[in-house]
Amino acid sequence: MSSRRPSSRQSSGGVSRISDDQIIALVSKLRHLLPEIRDNRSDKVSASKVLQETCNYIRSLHKEVEDLSDRLSQLLATIEAESAEAAIIRSLLM
Amino acid sequence: MHLPHSTLKQEFVKKWIMGLQRCKFSNKKMSIFERKKAIKLSADTAMASARKGLTCWSRALISNPDRPVPTTTRRASSACKKIVKRSRRIRRTAKCGAARKGQITRSIAQCLVRKRTQILKSLIPGGEFMNEVCLIEETLDYITSLRVQVDVMRSLASASAHN
Repeated sequence: MSSRRPSSRQSSGGVSRISDDQIIALVSKLRHLLPEIRDNRSDKVSASKVLQETCNYIRSLHKEVEDLSDRLSQLLATIEAESAEAAIIRSLLM
Repeated sequence: MHLPHSTLKQEFVKKWIMGLQRCKFSNKKMSIFERKKAIKLSADTAMASARKGLTCWSRALISNPDRPVPTTTRRASSACKKIVKRSRRIRRTAKCGAARKGQITRSIAQCLVRKRTQILKSLIPGGEFMNEVCLIEETLDYITSLRVQVDVMRSLASASAHN
């Protein structure tokens, strides 16, 4: 569970950049999430590359949610609570 | 501390079912487009509510679920091209030593990081209000939740298709 956010140590009111330590922490976690960076055997991934891959990945996830919503709106002509629940439970048990 | 995938999934499913029940889809006059919007809205709200107010992005998404998805790709790539052109011009005109070239490369990298950070801020709900540290943590949590959402929706779609 996330705790309260620590007060910003580096906010200067203006432009504050992501530091190298934070990039390293981000890379190690994103490595598990992003296929492109996971396959990259190098430990040195540039900050801008990580940010770019992250943005691309989020955009692709958004697009997929849109497409799935489209598909579901066609498949579920009338969403009755019982059938939706039954289908979800069934699919989760598979 | 991030929740495990299965816990988050169960929370999302529970909240989504509640949301769908409230939508009263049995009204057959709803168009496909309206139905799609309702499905997406209930899914987004469920995804955000499953975090139980612990993250910034979830609170921002609940308070503003209909934010338009920014399409800044073209602007970003043209900005990057400008940076590269500018760097070529500097290299041509400057009397460079190795140190100066390193400086230029570093400033290009910093510029790219700045620009891409802005793009990331526009993609995360409530991102424009976050500082850099917050943004990274929120991004990781947001991506995890998005994956759960896609997972469940995909399962339901394939389950419905088979019925």
